[in-house]
Amino acid sequence: MLFLKRYKKYEHPYITASIIILIFLVFLSLFAPVLTDYSPVRNNARNRLQPPSREHLLGTDQFGRDIFTRILYGIRTSMQVGLAVVLLTVIFGGVVGVAAGYYSQIDRVVMRILDAMMAFPGIIIAISLAAIWGAGKLNIILALSFAYFPKMARIVRSSVISIKDLDYVDSARAAGAKDSRIIVKYILKNSASPIMVQATFNFALAILDEAALSFLGVGIMPPAPSLGAMVTDARTYMVVAPWMILAPGIMIVLAVLSLNLLGDGLRDLLDPHLKNTFQK
Amino acid sequence: MRKEIKITSIVVLVLVFSLLLSGSVLAQEEDRYGGTLNAALQMSVAHLDSDNSTDSMITAMMNHVYEGLFEFDENLNLVPHLAESYQVGEDGLVYEVKLRENVMMHNGQTMDADDVVASFRRWLELNNGGQLVAPYFDQVEKIDQFNVRFTFEEAYAPFLNILASPVSNQKFVVRAEEVVEEFGSDVIDRHVGTGPYKYEEWVPDQKLTLTRFEDYTPSSREGSFFAGERIPYLDKIVFNFIPDAQVRVSGVQTGQFHFAEEVPRDQYQIFEMDQNIKNEIIYPDRMSMLIFNNAEPPFDNKYARRAIAYALDFEELGYAMIGDQQFWRLEPALHEDGNPWHVPDAGEGIYGVYDPEKAKELLDRAGYDGQPLVILSGQDNQMERQGAIAIQDQLEKIGIEVELQLFDRPTVVERRSREEGWHMHLSPFIKVVPDPQIHEGWTGTNKWISNWDSEDSRQMDQIFAEMLKEVDQEKRYEIVERMQAELWDSVPYFNILDYSRLHIRRTELKNFQAGWQPFFWNTYLE
Repeated sequence: MLFLKRYKKYEHPYITASIIILIFLVFLSLFAPVLTDYSPVRNNARNRLQPPSREHLLGTDQFGRDIFTRILYGIRTSMQVGLAVVLLTVIFGGVVGVAAGYYSQIDRVVMRILDAMMAFPGIIIAISLAAIWGAGKLNIILALSFAYFPKMARIVRSSVISIKDLDYVDSARAAGAKDSRIIVKYILKNSASPIMVQATFNFALAILDEAALSFLGVGIMPPAPSLGAMVTDARTYMVVAPWMILAPGIMIVLAVLSLNLLGDGLRDLLDPHLKNTFQK
Repeated sequence: MRKEIKITSIVVLVLVFSLLLSGSVLAQEEDRYGGTLNAALQMSVAHLDSDNSTDSMITAMMNHVYEGLFEFDENLNLVPHLAESYQVGEDGLVYEVKLRENVMMHNGQTMDADDVVASFRRWLELNNGGQLVAPYFDQVEKIDQFNVRFTFEEAYAPFLNILASPVSNQKFVVRAEEVVEEFGSDVIDRHVGTGPYKYEEWVPDQKLTLTRFEDYTPSSREGSFFAGERIPYLDKIVFNFIPDAQVRVSGVQTGQFHFAEEVPRDQYQIFEMDQNIKNEIIYPDRMSMLIFNNAEPPFDNKYARRAIAYALDFEELGYAMIGDQQFWRLEPALHEDGNPWHVPDAGEGIYGVYDPEKAKELLDRAGYDGQPLVILSGQDNQMERQGAIAIQDQLEKIGIEVELQLFDRPTVVERRSREEGWHMHLSPFIKVVPDPQIHEGWTGTNKWISNWDSEDSRQMDQIFAEMLKEVDQEKRYEIVERMQAELWDSVPYFNILDYSRLHIRRTELKNFQAGWQPFFWNTYLE
């Protein structure tokens, strides 16, 4: 528990702030059904575009749906997408990265393919895949994971390469350990920190890109709530109902900001080169 | 003596005053002339040849350059325009049209029967409206320089209405014979018409510039919408193509444009507060149609189709689909109130009756097995997108499972043309339909995308066949009543409501009339 030890030692302000925001967001998304009486999709169009009031804390949208409710469920969608994308990229990126880093025979081939994939910006790949497969939560998760995993694979690979020739790995090999044991017990365990940092950034990126895809109309299918789609819808009503665009916009900023801060903080803590910069 | 002086001075005074008055009236009339009008339109067009396209934007702009033999006025009455008068033979087979004499064309010649005959032949062959007429048509011939005869093989009652049709590009307009000969069926890019404005310059995807035709010969009838006198006060009209609604709006707010087409209805209040901007709500404009796939269960059964009409709360849909109440109206008939073909009691007992219990009962009767119903709809148009979401919500509220498929326009067009994979589809229809026969294009056995093929559909075909032959207005109206009754009985599709687009203009643009297509003759800048 290197991380906790170091955190106690330095009390990194970024991490403290980001964790507070994240806990808040996770709380909102987990307890959405308890926090609101409304449904995120049921219309009540006779009450459309109501300004914030006691019944509707953040007002209503063009279908008369409660915006506060839609934001709670929208964060839930964002968190689900982010979590799923991170899991998938860590699994795929990890497997490909370890294979390429550990077995130098396939390294060249695999890495050139990944290089080619990385030549395209991730969001472009995600947009094209989402356009081909069609909108929907599952498709978005797959498209974003596909777009992000090459970078993860690269990070895992470089970390595997730097560790695999260290003395303790050699001694494990000399003692007769199998490849699988070496990889899991000696290599992956010691390359956890860059993976963690990258995973945090991916989480933030996934939330932002899900919002972007939904904003462009290839993301979450309406009427399911998504922060990005709420911003798109609100554009038309920006002048008459500014509350429609402010709330989801602020939520996207909060989520992405907190995750990026967390990633930065983790890197500061875990990177041995930056170790001394944060000593009190 | 003194009395004489008095009388003379009174006479002189009266004369002077009347001179002054007439002078100021003349001066006012003179003041109207001049200026360049900048209009912001939503979509660009591929070319400007209305016969070669179904894009109604072409006609909207080229109405300033070309004119029809007949045009519609504000109340959708057919008025002779380039025609002076006409006669229909007793059997409805022969139409003799007398043309106005001395009408100047943009090439400096006068319009005569040769121009009309040449343009008509091209219209009949290429134009979508001409192709409706062609199967029944025999020939067009020149009687003398200003008289033309149209002969039919079979009676075709809606002929004159289609000649002036405001739908799509169906309208027949008169072009110079030399141009028709030069281009044949190719796309025309040299425009010689009789209209109040001449073609000057077209920059594709950017703008179309028209200039005043100094020798324009206006009709002597009173001006009303497209019919009657057209006065070209403006020196130039520039149509700018601006796809983004917000850019059109800010263009009018800053004074760059005098007119903007289709702006967000929900900003109505903001425009209302702006003293420089006037709102123009178009009436009757559009209707939102819910079309069923009549080939696929459950909607191959008319009770299932009727069930959906009972399952939907139309008023709630109005708010969700369109918004503010001044932009939509519940209207069961295909023709709006005020149209001669309006059937006031259409859909009685089913239209606007919200009865979910009855809907469930009818669905059971139709043998609906609870499969999810697919709504296929476009996502770029507000009515289509929000309407589909709202319909899904309402059906789900009463326990019907719905799958929403929102796509871009080309994908929607491709998918709805298939016989399976969708159950319901929302589409905007033009409400300004001058003749009931036009509905035949999408109503009947396997017409348009309905996949409607049953005893009911063949009965509908029969009704339209009768309507086609009936020349007597009153008897024809009775047929239209039967058509509407049949439509609400078997419900291959139905109109949920009528809605209006919102245009805005600067207040310095005077005398603007909100027609189904924007036009700028008779308007002037202050």
